[in-house]
Amino acid sequence: MELGLYLHFPFCISKCPYCDFNSYQLKDDNQISSYISAFYQEITAYSQKLKKSNIKTIYLGGGTPTILSGVQIYNILEFCKDKFTIDKNAEITIEANPGTLDGEKIKILIESGINRLSLGAQSFNDLFLKKLGRIHNTQDIIDSYFLAREIGFSNINIDIMFALPGQTTEDFQATLKKAVSLKSDHLSLYNLTIKPGTEYYENYKSNILKLPSEDEEYDMYHWAIKFLKENSFEHYEIANFARPHKRSLHNLNYWQNQPYLGIGAGAYSFIRGYRYMNFKDPAKYIKEVMNDKLPIDHGEKLSLRNRMIETIILGLRIKDGVSYKKYKTRFGINLNDIFSKQIDKLVNLGLLKKDDCKIKLTNKGIFLANIVFREFVD
Amino acid sequence: MLEDYHCNIENIRNFSIIAHIDHGKSTIADRLLEFTGTISEREKREQILDDMDLEREKGITIKSKAVRLYYHSKDGNEYILNLIDTPGHVDFSYEVSRSLAACEGALLVVDASQGVQAQTIANINLALKSNLKIIPIINKIDLTTANPDRVAKELQNISEIKEEEIILASAKEGIGTSDILEAIVNRIPSPKGSLHLPLRALIFDSVYNSYKGTIVYVKVVDGVIKPGMFIQAMSNDTKYEVAEVGIFRPKMQTIKKLTAGEVGYIIAGFKNIKDTHVGDTIIDASNPSRESLPGYKKVTPLVFCSIYPIDNKEYENLKIALEKLKLNDSSLFSEDETSEALGFGFRCGFLGLLHMEIIQERLEREYYINLIATTPSVMYQVTKKNGEMLKISNPSSFPSRNDIEKIEEPYVKVNIITPSKCIGAIMDLVQERRGIFKNMEYIDEKILKLDYHLPLNEIIIDFYDKLKSISSGYASLDYEIIGYQSSDLAKVDILVNHQLVDALSFIIYKDKAYTRARKIVEKLKEIIPRQMYEVPLQATIEGKIIARETIKALKKDVLAKCYGGDITRKRKLLEKQKAGKKRMKKIGKVEIPQEAFLGILKI
Ligand SMILES: Nc1nc2c(ncn2[C@@H]2O[C@H](COP(=O)(O)OP(=O)(O)O)[C@@H](O)[C@H]2O)c(=O)[nH]1
Ligand code: SF4
Ligand SMILES: [Mg+2]
Repeated sequence: MELGLYLHFPFCISKCPYCDFNSYQLKDDNQISSYISAFYQEITAYSQKLKKSNIKTIYLGGGTPTILSGVQIYNILEFCKDKFTIDKNAEITIEANPGTLDGEKIKILIESGINRLSLGAQSFNDLFLKKLGRIHNTQDIIDSYFLAREIGFSNINIDIMFALPGQTTEDFQATLKKAVSLKSDHLSLYNLTIKPGTEYYENYKSNILKLPSEDEEYDMYHWAIKFLKENSFEHYEIANFARPHKRSLHNLNYWQNQPYLGIGAGAYSFIRGYRYMNFKDPAKYIKEVMNDKLPIDHGEKLSLRNRMIETIILGLRIKDGVSYKKYKTRFGINLNDIFSKQIDKLVNLGLLKKDDCKIKLTNKGIFLANIVFREFVD
Repeated sequence: MLEDYHCNIENIRNFSIIAHIDHGKSTIADRLLEFTGTISEREKREQILDDMDLEREKGITIKSKAVRLYYHSKDGNEYILNLIDTPGHVDFSYEVSRSLAACEGALLVVDASQGVQAQTIANINLALKSNLKIIPIINKIDLTTANPDRVAKELQNISEIKEEEIILASAKEGIGTSDILEAIVNRIPSPKGSLHLPLRALIFDSVYNSYKGTIVYVKVVDGVIKPGMFIQAMSNDTKYEVAEVGIFRPKMQTIKKLTAGEVGYIIAGFKNIKDTHVGDTIIDASNPSRESLPGYKKVTPLVFCSIYPIDNKEYENLKIALEKLKLNDSSLFSEDETSEALGFGFRCGFLGLLHMEIIQERLEREYYINLIATTPSVMYQVTKKNGEMLKISNPSSFPSRNDIEKIEEPYVKVNIITPSKCIGAIMDLVQERRGIFKNMEYIDEKILKLDYHLPLNEIIIDFYDKLKSISSGYASLDYEIIGYQSSDLAKVDILVNHQLVDALSFIIYKDKAYTRARKIVEKLKEIIPRQMYEVPLQATIEGKIIARETIKALKKDVLAKCYGGDITRKRKLLEKQKAGKKRMKKIGKVEIPQEAFLGILKI
């Protein structure tokens, strides 16, 4: 079995007001060391069961994985290599926040085998960075980026958010232009969404957060797609853009609905048709692992029907769409035999394109993907 | 045992409790039940007679109930007291009057702090019309705000009630309960019928029970009724064999027979609701009495709306549900109707807005049917140029303006009781609702009684709420129909995406048409979700556009990010959204949420 491996680090220097990821402000460094101990233990617990699996990609995400020291990261990856079978060409990505990187650390990351860096830039406007509660400024992004390039990262992604409170289309265009000028290999473009439980959500509810209108969001996103294409980025997934051969393999594995193992607090796994999640609270996670239990909070065995639906929803996010042949190989059923009604309806609405070998979103469908997805779910 | 014991007719007392809403009818009933041991300590719960779920929630009593109490009086005799609980809201005065017909007396309950209210006066009038002996009770004397002296004066000002007749009580603390029971025995006359005459029993209510079928509530006026006897309703030739007779304690309890003066129930396999009309007289089929008892006027529904299932497949269920509700509630009216926009449904008539809300809620809650209900309307009288006269409650069946000679709408006489300091705000409200001032009277120096004539249409939706809010809850209202008057009315149509949504049409006083149409299209714009294309909303009178709005096309609806773990959660979210869409009504290409139909009600 081929497998993606996700490692979650739920700590950040401070908590951003819009963020609903499983991340917590770091109170003291002991939290990290006890978390890492549990981490090792969880990896060990899986190592026997998954020894034969071939790990093709690793992703260190968070939170802020680079809040760990270079040595801690190095050791974790060494431990993984010891316990699992990792493809020698594996893509290994780490998320990093500008301002948590220095030359020393970058060197160790490369020595650890990490070959892809994902920079959480979010904006190239200091005012918006401040409003987003980010600890870095524009110069930090630029410095971290070039330092990483210099020391040897040949595959760098930059995360950008848009539709920020108070942001105009012009503001966003300026940010994106600066991002592109760095000539990164990959860009992720996320529409800010207001999530319950966040500070932004509370502000939004009490009407003190002025968000761009739906039409403005559309304009930003629409412009970005065009602009990035002009700058030879391939729009290969709804929110992701890559230079040739620089697609994120780890994430492609998700979009192809293939198995992955998640380690750490709140991490999801999808193995043998089971989708399950670890306890989110780091303390609870640590406690469970230390009691020799798998720290699983909840999960379910997906029905064939739901796996078929999820495979379509995820697959349609990618430019390549859903191939009839792969679908048939995987489920033994023709896509068009089961979903012809939905497909025809969406083709008529101009949201879906259908040819001899696949279905995929049309340009319009990309913007209205939820309508398409809703059609396929039960 | 007591249950088998029959005392003679002189020892029977039949009475109701009447009051303005919340003055304490149900609580007083509880105290009487407890005092007479009709319910044990264990069965006690507040307002025992309100057993319908909805009643508990809304805190009001919908159906009248009859309970038998056994009371050992201070005069040493044993009495049968039949208590008939009645609803208090203005929508249900019809039910009040039919309960009263089975009684010889009534407890009139007035809140010691709130004093006389509009319904108090209406209830006194109803009781007097039915020749009932009134026992005035001032309740809630435990309240720190209680002012029994003031209330006593008010009562004397509005009626013939004498000071020494008034009983002071606190149902909450059980004060006055025994005085009330003694007054029932001593002041209310016993029923007048005779055991030896042929059977005559008045039907004062009927309910449908899924185990027992139709259960008919009766007061036996003359004669005896017992199982095995063949009976019929006087208006009808179908004969039924009595299967069971019984009383309410307050649960149903079978007894051997019901005799003259008694109140109880009959089960006789009644098949058709028409055979058990409330107000009809039940007689012995083998020894029919010739003379029917005075019945009731048939009620005319005042408020109408159309009810459609959201899912057309639910039509049959809705039909069955309405039939069942009608068995329990003879004041509910319904007939088939078809709407171009909404498909098959029903035009329904109600006593008032509260009645309408309760029925809609019961359909949704007890029968699990998702409904669309249209804006309530009244019954208009339209005279066409060719002389034809039509009664129309449904805006969509209005003839074209060119064919209409005149339109008349029902007017009501509204009686408002209010603290005098609210008069300014009330006059403004009534003016805005096209009210015509008729009369003003002081009940005491701080309380006024106002009479107005108003179009019924102006008070059915939110008049009561507004009245309550501008008077901080103190003003109260009662109304009765006085007839039709011609008005300058117009029909406003609503077009969604150029398609007429007949269910959204409404009739309105012409001068108010523009403002309301404007508000409605604005509200619809808010409620109807964006579609994939622009959707124009228009309000028209006779094809002429008087208001318009545009719902802009949906341009972007996409999940920003979605990686591995998220997908199952996102799929479930999409499923939920999809289920929400199923609760929308598709009109042409546009999906309109249920709230659109409800939302415009509240404008
Ligand atoms: N303080 C006080 N509250 C009472 C008394 N009688 C009834 N209530 C309260 O008044 C409210 C309305 O009573 P209810 O019996 O339902 O009135 P109904 O609408 O006339 O049946 C309830 O909250 C009762 O608990 C009383 O004597 N004293
Ligand atoms: S740094 Fe990232 S994970 Fe941490 S709080 Fe901010 S947005 Fe959330
Ligand atoms: Mg009550």
